[in-house]
Amino acid sequence: MEAKDMSGKWRIAIPACSISEDAGLVTVKVEMPGVAKEALEIKIEGNELSVSGNRSLNAQRGHYILNERRAEAFRKIFTLDDTISRDDIDAALADGILTLKMKIKEAAKPRRVEIA
Amino acid sequence: MDLVKWDNPAPKDLWEAFDGLRGELDRALDPFRIPSAAGLLDRTTAPAVDVLETKDEYVVMADLPGVDKRDLEVSVTGSLLSIRGDKKGERDSEKRKIFRKETWVGSFSRTIDLPAQIDTGKITAELKDGVLAVRIAKREEAKTKLIAITTE
Repeated sequence: MEAKDMSGKWRIAIPACSISEDAGLVTVKVEMPGVAKEALEIKIEGNELSVSGNRSLNAQRGHYILNERRAEAFRKIFTLDDTISRDDIDAALADGILTLKMKIKEAAKPRRVEIA
Repeated sequence: MDLVKWDNPAPKDLWEAFDGLRGELDRALDPFRIPSAAGLLDRTTAPAVDVLETKDEYVVMADLPGVDKRDLEVSVTGSLLSIRGDKKGERDSEKRKIFRKETWVGSFSRTIDLPAQIDTGKITAELKDGVLAVRIAKREEAKTKLIAITTE
């Protein structure tokens, strides 16, 4: 998840996420602390939903005594299947957590068949 | 329903693979290693923290996504800075199906021993976009002073 490449730069980190579904509404939460709304990009390309964000770790220059926060960029790509409605995706960013709400298409929802 | 995590492609060159191996060995052999707060397998319930020393102050930054200001407590005792809090998640409902859970909820605490020359009267804490920034000023006598050189 965190490794330096040959040029000494930190690679893009994969943020921690959680996915749940409740009554046809899929909620995806992605933890991206320090990423402002302006530095966040949510894209849908075909079946791929990609979420990427950048942050600046420290505004000031100085000497690090402890350095555990390393990721300067986050990126996560989800694959959407046909049951998810592409037009109706709601995104909100609060306290460093991005919440995506997606709807399952009506046609894909389980249907009850009444016995005549 | 299928939400599949994107899979990292294999390393393109051989050196990259060696680089990862070396890092892994370094981590395994380092007795003072501090685990990262993000990630599924190396997850701990302690937030990742940076401590930065600048000319006039110490800056402590902690990644606290999803933590409310009301659930967070920052205190200083002597030279010990303590950050404790509670990260609250969604209320579980019986109907809710969970597909993936890499994030954690619960209480956490982190204590950082700062150098003794801090001015406990001059501390500010700010929480923005899930990152806590605590600024602690250095005492006047601990600041670097430039001495003018005179020539005869």
